[in-house]
Amino acid sequence: MNANACGDHCITCSDEGIPMRVERIDDVRRLALCAAEDGSRSTVEIELVDVAPGDRVLVHAGVALAELSA
Amino acid sequence: MRYVDEFRDPELGRVLATEILAAVEPGRHYKFMEVCGGHTHSIYKYGVDDLLPANVELVHGPGCPVCVIPMGRVDDGIAVAREPGVIFTCFGDMMRVPGSKGSMLEAKAEGADIRMVYSPLDALRIAKQNPDRQVVFFAIGFETTAPSTALTLKRAKAEGVPNFSCMCSHVTIVPPLRALLDSPDLRLDGFVGPGHVSTVVGARPFEFIPADYGKPIVVAGFEPLDILQAIRMILAQLDEGRCEVENQYSRVVPYEGNQRALEVMAEVFELRPHFEWRGLGFISQSGLKLSEAYAELDAELRFSVPGVRVADPKACQCGEVLKGVIKPWECKVFGTACTPERPIGTCMVSSEGACAAYYNYGRFAREREVV
Repeated sequence: MNANACGDHCITCSDEGIPMRVERIDDVRRLALCAAEDGSRSTVEIELVDVAPGDRVLVHAGVALAELSA
Repeated sequence: MRYVDEFRDPELGRVLATEILAAVEPGRHYKFMEVCGGHTHSIYKYGVDDLLPANVELVHGPGCPVCVIPMGRVDDGIAVAREPGVIFTCFGDMMRVPGSKGSMLEAKAEGADIRMVYSPLDALRIAKQNPDRQVVFFAIGFETTAPSTALTLKRAKAEGVPNFSCMCSHVTIVPPLRALLDSPDLRLDGFVGPGHVSTVVGARPFEFIPADYGKPIVVAGFEPLDILQAIRMILAQLDEGRCEVENQYSRVVPYEGNQRALEVMAEVFELRPHFEWRGLGFISQSGLKLSEAYAELDAELRFSVPGVRVADPKACQCGEVLKGVIKPWECKVFGTACTPERPIGTCMVSSEGACAAYYNYGRFAREREVV
């Protein structure tokens, strides 16, 4: 297995986050569909941030940890 | 690409390199530690150290969560993974970390059901899909991944997922920094502070570094220009006789951190009296375990965990590399017996480990120097 299997990002949750854009929010479950720069989408936990669709967040291990300032 | 391209601009990089050159005193040797493995990876990948004057030395710190996991802890994980009916989940690189009798990847090849997950939430989903199996998540990482584990445990408790549990090996960033600063064999002039850990804890917890030890620290992002600018800012502090916490990464890091993340961590975790770090030994109050309220989800209480302490292999010098006492290539087994394909030490496993980062990128520059 290549340690760099995920491009620039170490697949261990080391100290590297992925900037993503919020596309849709499921407010009941506090989950959001987010898109990365390369267009790949994933479900992200947004319990720890206040965000709306269109906002950019820093995602780490499936959890948005910070909102990226505009 | 926004937030990326502008922080990799070669022209701006050269400007910063010129400013750094102008800021150093020619006769003085500067030794700065980049705490985080993400910085180590970027430094080697982009050749940031090639842009620095010869008298500015970067020392790689202990901030790779895989690299600091001791062998005994890997053995404990494998022991749980081998229990009948268990699905054991962990982050990808953790699977390759050698224990005393092989890695999790080897245990998987021998029949243990060990699966790689990207997020602890994936492990919880596996638990819900397999109600007749026990699903254990092996949690590692600093304060960047701890909130993710904490949220997952909160969900597991709220939703009542009885077959899910967590083997917690989370660590905190401040105690090892204090241990390093107390170490007599390491004399540092300043720190490039960890960026993403600080999104959670903020920059405030690092105030003890200037206050108690008289060293500047600049919290930095992970792009090459972030790191160069942070070095420029440390040099400016030294030049002006200042010594404080500065935040180069303010586009992401609030000075106070993420309060909600800290609250959920405080609810789910409590500090262990001691935790063993690879190469650094036992550091008090540096590791996290599940709090009383979450004890029912603690895999260490649910399963029998051997908890045997295993000494690192004699040939491996991960400890010295993690403390920044030696460079990766100065280790006796670097690149020969120990490679990313067959690592002996943890620093060669994760792409953020100093040895793997150097093996992948830096050794070419060194080969050029040697020739």
